Amino acid sequence: MLSNEELEYLKHKLGREPNSLELSMVEAEWSEHCSYKSSKPYLKAFNTQGKYVLIGPGYDAGVLAIDDMLITVHIESHNHPSAVEPYGGAATGVGGVIRDILSMGSRPIALLNGLRFGDIEKDSSARWLFKHVVRGIADYGNCIGVPTVAGEVEFDNSFDNYCLVDVACIGLIDKDKLVLMQADAKDLIIIAGNSTGKDGIHGASFASKVLDDADSNRSAVQIPDPFMGKLLIDATMECVNARCVKAIKDLGGGGLACCLSELADKLGKGMSIDLANLHLREHMSVEEIMISESQERMLYIVEPSRLSTFKEIMDKYEIPYSILGYVTDDGYLDIKYDGRKIAKIKASIVANAPIAKRKARKPKYLEEIPVREPDGYNEGNIAEYLLSLLSDPSIASKEWVYRQYDHEVGLRTVIKPGYHDAAVIRLSDNKFLAVKLDGNSKHCYLDPYNGAMGCFAEACRNVIAVGAEPIAMVDHLQFGSPEDEHVFYTFVESVKGLADYGRYMQIPCVGGKVSFYNETKYGAIKPTPVVCILGLIDSYSKIVKDRAKDGDMLVIVGLTKDEMGGSEYYEYIHKIQSSNVPRVDLEYDKAVMHAMLELIDGRVVRAIHDCSKGGFGVALAEMCINSSIGAYVNLDRIPNTCSRLDNLIFSESHSRFLIAVSKDNLSRVEYTLSKYSKGNNGIHYSVIGYFNSSDSIVLEHGSSTIGLSLDKAIDAYSSNIPRLMDHA
Amino acid sequence: MVKHIVNVLIENKPYISDPEGDTILKDLVIKGGYTNVKSIRVAKMLKLEVEANDPKEAEEIVKRLCDDLRLYNPVLSVCKVSVVQG
Amino acid sequence: MHIKVGIVVFPGSNCDRDVYHVFKNILKVDTELIWHKRDDLRGFDAIILPGGFAYADRLRAGVIAAHSPVMQEVKRLAKDGLPILGICNGFQVLVESELLPGAFMRNDTLRFICRWVSLRVNVDSKRSPFTRLLSNDQILNIPIANQEGKYYVDDDTLNLMHKNRQIVLTYTNNPNGSLQSIACICNEQGNVMGIMPHPERASDPMLNPLNYGNDGLLIFKSLLAYLGCDHHA
Repeated sequence: MLSNEELEYLKHKLGREPNSLELSMVEAEWSEHCSYKSSKPYLKAFNTQGKYVLIGPGYDAGVLAIDDMLITVHIESHNHPSAVEPYGGAATGVGGVIRDILSMGSRPIALLNGLRFGDIEKDSSARWLFKHVVRGIADYGNCIGVPTVAGEVEFDNSFDNYCLVDVACIGLIDKDKLVLMQADAKDLIIIAGNSTGKDGIHGASFASKVLDDADSNRSAVQIPDPFMGKLLIDATMECVNARCVKAIKDLGGGGLACCLSELADKLGKGMSIDLANLHLREHMSVEEIMISESQERMLYIVEPSRLSTFKEIMDKYEIPYSILGYVTDDGYLDIKYDGRKIAKIKASIVANAPIAKRKARKPKYLEEIPVREPDGYNEGNIAEYLLSLLSDPSIASKEWVYRQYDHEVGLRTVIKPGYHDAAVIRLSDNKFLAVKLDGNSKHCYLDPYNGAMGCFAEACRNVIAVGAEPIAMVDHLQFGSPEDEHVFYTFVESVKGLADYGRYMQIPCVGGKVSFYNETKYGAIKPTPVVCILGLIDSYSKIVKDRAKDGDMLVIVGLTKDEMGGSEYYEYIHKIQSSNVPRVDLEYDKAVMHAMLELIDGRVVRAIHDCSKGGFGVALAEMCINSSIGAYVNLDRIPNTCSRLDNLIFSESHSRFLIAVSKDNLSRVEYTLSKYSKGNNGIHYSVIGYFNSSDSIVLEHGSSTIGLSLDKAIDAYSSNIPRLMDHA
Repeated sequence: MVKHIVNVLIENKPYISDPEGDTILKDLVIKGGYTNVKSIRVAKMLKLEVEANDPKEAEEIVKRLCDDLRLYNPVLSVCKVSVVQG
Repeated sequence: MHIKVGIVVFPGSNCDRDVYHVFKNILKVDTELIWHKRDDLRGFDAIILPGGFAYADRLRAGVIAAHSPVMQEVKRLAKDGLPILGICNGFQVLVESELLPGAFMRNDTLRFICRWVSLRVNVDSKRSPFTRLLSNDQILNIPIANQEGKYYVDDDTLNLMHKNRQIVLTYTNNPNGSLQSIACICNEQGNVMGIMPHPERASDPMLNPLNYGNDGLLIFKSLLAYLGCDHHA
């Protein structure tokens, strides 16, 4: 529903009252989900230029140029539908993001997803959502033959009775085949794919309001059809190769209304269409036809002389299509039904919603949360804490998840899920793309600015850890209602944090999505910006693919501080919140990044793992578990400003890496790192121990020793999620 | 010609294991307190709308279809055809 | 000598391009993708049915594809002894076309499984065109990716299959409950083989960084050896 101001604005722009169809179209397009009316002004803060960037945000996907190839990337979410019907919601989320990549004429080559749920250890409905979301993503992605190569799963009580499902997709196309939207008068507007039905009516406005009663929202769920999704991929790629389409657009949120208005506006053209031409599943009113969100439909603009080629391709795959109308020069959406005039409205009016001016006010809780320390802490319990953190579902092995995803199809996946910190896919024999997605709602809740910046920094660390230089990002910004000034404040601060990091590091933002209204009757979710980073590796030998070996030395880079706020240690073990969330020191972070990239270039490191959730302790344990190898560490050698032992081990300070180095390469590594450690803000590093083929992880501190059996660590890390989910 | 509704029930042969049915029984139904339920087998049902002169013809058409087009794999499953309407 | 390999593509097949890449770019063999509506397959020395989700596995994996026009021709060529390899979904299509015995069910875990597995060779190299470079008891590492990979066949047929040495590869660690850990079988004649794991995914050491192996390539190279061309890829 339009607000009074919006209605007045519309009337003013039209110079008259809108009719009911025009009103429906505008309502769909001016929903938060389609128009970004609350967020647009703030998103301008992102830097969008970069060495590899061809096209920034604004199109259906961002585009990077690498050699003769173009990489497209896009991110989508399907939070509301997945919370109501997790299987269908998650599956259609995958379908949608794939089609956005197809809209650039690129072939989808990889999928990633970020999932968030409530407490699966205590809440059976959280387990139910988790199980079916994963199955939905798996069934769709596997069926269409696009590998799901990386992801993230996080659990937090703020997602109780809800869930966040973020799906990102990467596409590939030859430079000269990119389909840039263009059209001329008399070009045909064709809709191909599944017939249109009454499913998904009000989907976009559904996503733009708070979820109240699950049952009454069932009509807004869309049914996935991965078979048609796959046929559309194959047919579209054939059209692109045959060069018979001038523009392609996905029908997503807001259905035809949004697709036509956005495309016409972008092209600077008009469209004359007759809705009676559209292939329908059932009888529908003109309004229902315009806003239905039936899945697996694409729009193509085809020059009349190329129509027979287009038809041949669609007929080969037996994909139904209808010629909806043709392009005009007058900028109007001229809508008829069976020859009768129904509506005529300028596309630019529909596609450009007035900005919704929202208020931002710092919430009281941000002022009131103190710096806390846990009571009842016993230094003798550190091994127990570490084991417990390894089984923390937000940290534990996600093998139960990624084994359900076909991550090998396409013959591109070099570093597979579970191997290392990011996935690596092959673009060509000497160019590889590292990809990872990261978020941290606990950090962002307690400190939106630093928390968001931290997500960006962490995602960069993950791709660096496999040998890649971060070259672009897309973000997904997920919050509660923008009409709530406290929620909106956290949005504004998160955007600032991401924009500041991106500008300083010169990593461009090439696209993203904003998802507001993530609330249930229990309240808003924690602020959850998610960052998806693409990194480039320009030679196979630079991919850091090995695992730590017996005899390798362990080096830590970075400084560990008393930054415990939002840490898994504080929240999962001690159940306390503290305000001292880790902060990124931009200059320091940049120096660490450059130092790491120089080490990678020199091919002198065996294995790299970044420190994030669970701090140094978990990072070390993960390295040992992954390599099936023990380790000895002298904790006193870790560069730190910590006041307590548990802070040293579990702090989630940024800009830190663990590196396994063969003895032969140690002096070269130390030499490189020493260059970056000079001066006031020089980086810290230290050789803190070594890996050995013992069966334990030994941490020495002063005259005491903390020991952890490798078998126990492996068991804690790998068995919790299967144990919880196998009988879910 | 009259419209008939014919159901085709495709069930795995009884001696073939059914982990899906077992899971539903053990992890949902029994855990949910319905201890009177002793076994669950999962089957697939297709509802066909068939034009025929009488129910017998409708049933024959569907039986032939099932065998001819391998609607069920005879190594694994059995197929029961029943006219429910018309 | 000039060899030509054909890869059948059904609506929903998604490993066709992968198999094509292995034959065309790694083995340098003349290869063609065959759309399922084609009913003339003259000129091919071998046919591959690739993996994927033909018809989204609707009704039952492989059954709708088994009725495609191209399968009539494939059946005829199979009778004539042409080498025919079905990979994963392709194996399911061969079973539903009755070119290979048995049936497939959902994995015991009820979930899709994507992982590398190790397989034991149970036949001599001469058993099939696709085993020429393999030896009895050899272990191969090849990945699986499927939801309905659990093989089943009735006792009488199983006994016959043992007698005729039709069980080509078995899992050393059964991942899905397949009867007697069966992962790959051939017909009595030996020219038709169905394999659940994906050999095309184990044909490039770059994609197998932990083991640097390319065991899958042996199956394709075996075919070339059988056809009499010595390709060194």
